[in-house]
Amino acid sequence: MSIALIVLLPLLGAVFPALMMRLGKNESAIAASSVTILSLVLLLTNIFAISQSTVPQASWPWVPQIDLNASFFVDGLGLLFAVMILGIGLLVTVYARFYLSPQEALGRFFAYLLLFQGAMLGVVLSNNILLLIVFWELTSLSSFLLIGFKSDSQEGRQGARMALAVTAGGGLALLAGMLLLGQVAGSFELTEILKEGEKIRSSPYYLSILALVLIGCFTKSAQFPFHFWLPHAMAAPTPVSAYLHSATMVKAGIFLMLRLWPVLAGTQTWFYVVAGTGVITMLIAAVIALFRDDLKSILAYSTISHLGIMTMLVGFGSEMAVVACVFHVINHAIFKAALFMNAGIVDHETGTRDISRLGGLASLMPISAITATLAAASMVGVPPMNGFLSKEMMLEEVTHATAIGVAWLLPGLVMLASVFSVAYSLRFLLYTYFGPVRNDYPAKPHDPSRGLWLPPACLVVLAILIGLFPEAWAGSITRLASDAALQSKSPKFHLSLWHGWTPALMMSIFAFGCGATALSLYVPVRSIWNKALLPDAKGLYDLSLNACVRLARITTDRSFNGSLHRMLFLFVLAASALGGVVFARSSYERGERELLPINTSMFVGWVLVIVACFVLAWKHQSRLIALLTVNIVGLISSIAFIYLSAPDLALTQIAVEVVTLILMLLALHFLPKEAINEVISWRQYRDIVLSVAVGASVGFLCWAMMTHDFQSISSYYIQHSKPLGGGANVVNVILVDFRGFDTFGEITVIGIAAMAIYAMLDGMLTGPLSATLLKWTSGLRFSPNRHPMMMVVVTRVMLPLAILVACYIFLRGHNLPGGGFIAALVVSIALIMQYMASGFAWADERVHFDYHALIGGGGLIAAITGIGSIVLGKPFLTSGFKYVDFPFIGKVELASVSAFDLGVFLTVVGGVMLALANLSNLGRMTGDGKQ
Amino acid sequence: MNSFFEALIALHIVVGAFFIFVGSFGLLKLPSFMSRLHAPSKSTTLGVGGCLVASMLQLWAAAGTISVHETLITFFLFMTAPVTAHFLALAYLHTQRSIDESLPKPSPNSNWSTLLNEESMTHSNSVRISEKSK
Repeated sequence: MSIALIVLLPLLGAVFPALMMRLGKNESAIAASSVTILSLVLLLTNIFAISQSTVPQASWPWVPQIDLNASFFVDGLGLLFAVMILGIGLLVTVYARFYLSPQEALGRFFAYLLLFQGAMLGVVLSNNILLLIVFWELTSLSSFLLIGFKSDSQEGRQGARMALAVTAGGGLALLAGMLLLGQVAGSFELTEILKEGEKIRSSPYYLSILALVLIGCFTKSAQFPFHFWLPHAMAAPTPVSAYLHSATMVKAGIFLMLRLWPVLAGTQTWFYVVAGTGVITMLIAAVIALFRDDLKSILAYSTISHLGIMTMLVGFGSEMAVVACVFHVINHAIFKAALFMNAGIVDHETGTRDISRLGGLASLMPISAITATLAAASMVGVPPMNGFLSKEMMLEEVTHATAIGVAWLLPGLVMLASVFSVAYSLRFLLYTYFGPVRNDYPAKPHDPSRGLWLPPACLVVLAILIGLFPEAWAGSITRLASDAALQSKSPKFHLSLWHGWTPALMMSIFAFGCGATALSLYVPVRSIWNKALLPDAKGLYDLSLNACVRLARITTDRSFNGSLHRMLFLFVLAASALGGVVFARSSYERGERELLPINTSMFVGWVLVIVACFVLAWKHQSRLIALLTVNIVGLISSIAFIYLSAPDLALTQIAVEVVTLILMLLALHFLPKEAINEVISWRQYRDIVLSVAVGASVGFLCWAMMTHDFQSISSYYIQHSKPLGGGANVVNVILVDFRGFDTFGEITVIGIAAMAIYAMLDGMLTGPLSATLLKWTSGLRFSPNRHPMMMVVVTRVMLPLAILVACYIFLRGHNLPGGGFIAALVVSIALIMQYMASGFAWADERVHFDYHALIGGGGLIAAITGIGSIVLGKPFLTSGFKYVDFPFIGKVELASVSAFDLGVFLTVVGGVMLALANLSNLGRMTGDGKQ
Repeated sequence: MNSFFEALIALHIVVGAFFIFVGSFGLLKLPSFMSRLHAPSKSTTLGVGGCLVASMLQLWAAAGTISVHETLITFFLFMTAPVTAHFLALAYLHTQRSIDESLPKPSPNSNWSTLLNEESMTHSNSVRISEKSK
C-alpha cells in the first residue's frame, strides 16, 4: 500500500499548495514540500528491503479486461530515480518559492509541479507497462502545463505546444511498442517481461518493438532528430527547466532504455541505432551549444549532449557501460540542476540571460560565482568533482567499444564532442562571471536571498562529496541501480578519483587542452558560424504543421462542400466499396435452405413497389408526386410487415408514414412545386451505374442471407419475454426492457432533433431571415374559406376518441400489439390535425402545456425509472413487475416499464409536436399569412 | 364450420371485391373530376363493408363471438371519407373558377363559400363558426 502512496501522494496532494496559497506563499511552499518529504520518507522505508535483494511490490486490478493493473514495485533503478525526483523536487520547490515574482500564481505552479512529480514517480515505480504509458503521457501533459505557465508569452505557448506534440507523438509510438511487447512476452507486468529477454530478442516483432519503443524514448529524451523541442521549452520558468528539462523528465527516456535493457539490448541493431543516435546527438548538441547566447539555451543543448552520452552508453550493450550510464545519470542531474538554478539566479539579479551582456559578475555575486564555478567544473569534468569521475568511466567504455570494426571512429567522435563540451562549459563560466565588470547591466547585480542560492549550493556540496568519496556516497546506490537495470549482479567496479594513467585520462587532458585553446579562438569561429546556413528546426516544424493543416482543410472542403448529392454519393460509394471487398473474398455458394413459393398478393405488392420506385425516379421533378410515391412504398412495407406477422411494426410504420407525409407537406409548401430541370451529364450516368451496383448487391445479400441457415438471438427473446419481462408482446418487451437503454438513447435523440428543428425555425422567425420570410409568397391563390367546417367539426370530435384509442394502445402494449411509441404518434397526429383544421393561432391558444417541458419531462421520467432500480441495488433500468388483483377489473399486471413507456410517450409527443407545430407556424409568418 | 356459412362468407367477400373493382374502374374511366370523385366512395362503403361483414361472420361461425371491431372500422371510414371528398371538391372548385357560371347557386344572395372573394365573404360567416367552437 505504501508503494502506491509514494506515487499517489503528490498526485492527490497537488491541490494543497493551491488551497494554501490563500494563506501566503510560505504556507503554499510548505504544503508542497511536505507532500514531497512524506513521499520521500515512504520511499526510504523500502531501502532496507531492497538492499537485501527483495523487491517490494504491490498490485491492484484496474481494468482487468485489458490487463491493466495498478502494479508498483521498487527496485534499485526505481529507487534511484525516485530519490532523484523527490530530492531535486524538494530543492526546486524551495527555489521556486523565492524565484517566482509576486504576480505569478505560485499555488497553481506548485500544483502543476506536484502533478508532474507524481506522474514521474509513476513512470519509474510502475510494474505494468500500460500503467507506465499512462504516467508517461501524464508527464507530457504536466510538462505542457508547466512550460506554458506564462500563458501570455507567445514563446511559452508555442514551446509548450511543440513539446507536447513531439513527446505525445512519441508516446503514441511507445504505446504501440508496449502493446507489441506485452503480446510477445505474454504478460504486461514488467517483472514477468524482464525474464523473457531471449524470447523477445528472437521474436519476429523485435525490430518493430525496438523501433517504436526507441521513438518514444528518443522523443522524450530529446535525441536527434527529435531534439528541437527542448531549447524551445526553455521558455518555461527556470525552476521548471531545472526540474523537468535537466534532471527528471528528459531522463525518462534513458530510464526506459535502462529498464528494458535486459530485454531489448544485446543485438547489433540495438548497438548501431542507440549508440549511433547517442553519439550523433552528443556531437551536434555540443557544437550548437558553443554558439548560443542565451544562458538557458546553452544549458539546454548541453543537456541534450549529455543525454546523448547516456544514450550512447546504454547503446554499447556491455554491462560496465550500463554502470557508467547509471552513474552519469546521478552526476548529471546534480550538476545540471545546479547550473540551471544558477542561470536563474543570474537572470533574477541582473535582468538578462544574454551572455553577450554579461561578464564580471564574480565580484558582484561571489556566492553564486562559487557555486557556478564548481558546477561548471563538474560539467567540464575537472577533478575532484563528480563530473570528472563519470566522464572517466564514459571514456573508458568508449575505448573498449569499436564501431563498424574501426577502432578509432567512436573514440574520435567522442573526443571531438568532449572538446566542444569543454569549450562551451568554459564559455558559460568565463563569459558570465569572469572578465571585466561592466556598467550596463539591466539591473544591479547582487547576491540573491538565501532561498535562491541554498538549493544549488546543496547540490554542489553533494557533487563535491561524491567526487571526493565516491564509494561512500554513490557506490551502493549505483550498484543497486545497476543490478536492477541488468537484472543480474553488476560487474565488479570501484569508483575512485585515480585509476592510474589510463587512456581515458589522456583523452580527458587532451580534450581539456583543445577545448581551452578553441575558446581562445572563439571570435573568428563564431563569425563563420553566423554566416553558415543552418536548418531552423522551429521553422521546419511550423512549415510541416501548416502543410498538414492545409491538406486536411482541402480534403474536407472538397468532399464536404455542402452538397447533399456529393455527400450521399461518397457515402454510398464507400459502403459499396467495403461490400465489394467482402464479396470478392467470400464464396458464392448457395445455402441449404429451401426457397418457398411466392404468395400471389405479396408478388403484386412487390411489383407495386417497383412501379412506384420507377414513377418516383421518372416524375421526381413534380415534388408532390414524388412525395406520394414515397408514401406508397412505405404503405406497402406496412403490408409486408403484416404479412410477416409483425403487427407492431406495421402499426408503427403506418403512423410514421402519416407523420412524415404531414411534415414533408408542411416543408414542401415553402419550396418550388417543381424541381429544376437538370441537364443530363456524366454525373447522372455515374449515379445510375452506382445505383444499379448497389441495388444488385443488396439483392444478392438478401438472397445469400435467406438461403443460409443462421442462428439469431430472437429465440432467446421469444422464450424469455414472458418469464423475465412479464409481457407477451416480444417487440415491446425488447424495446422497453431488454434493450431499454437503447430506447432511452433514442428518445434522447428524438428530443435533440426536435430541439434542433425548433432552434432553426425560431432563427427563421426572429433572426434576419424573418424579413425575407415576410416578403415571400407562394404565388398560389388562397381560398377565402380558410377552415372548411366539416373538417373542423370532424377533427374536433375525433380528438377525444383518438386520445382514448392512444391510451388503449399504450396500456395494452405489453401483451398485445401497441406500446408507448405508437400511442404517442396517434396523439401527435390527432393534435396536428387540430392545427391543420382550425389554424395555428386557434390551436396554439388552446394548448396549455409546453412541448419543451414534455420532451424534458419524458426523458426525466425514463431516467428516474432507470435510476430507481439503482437505488434498489440493481443495475440501471432493471424492470420489475407484479400481478395485482383488483376487485372488479381482475388480475392486472403492474410493471415498472409502464413508467418508462410513459417517458417514451411524452418525449415522442413533445418532439413530434414541436417540429410540426412550429413548421405550421412558419406559414403564418409569410406573405401568404397576411392575406 | 358449416358449409352454409362458408358459402355466405365467400359471397360477401366476392361482393365486396366486386364493388372495390367497380370503384377503381370508375376512378380510372369516368370523364370528369366531379364524377370521378364519387367512385371511390363505392369502394370504401360497399366494398370494404362487404369484406368486414364477411370477417364478422367468420368470427361468429368459428368462435361464436360477436366482434365489434369491424363496425368501428366502418364508423371511422364513414367519418373520414366524406371529409376527404369534401376537401377534394373544394380544391377542384377553387382551381377551376371558370365553372362557377355553370354551377347552381346555393342561395339567391350568396355563392359557394370557396368561390367568394375576400370582401364578399361576410364577417358573420366566420364569426359564426368560431363562436360555435368555443
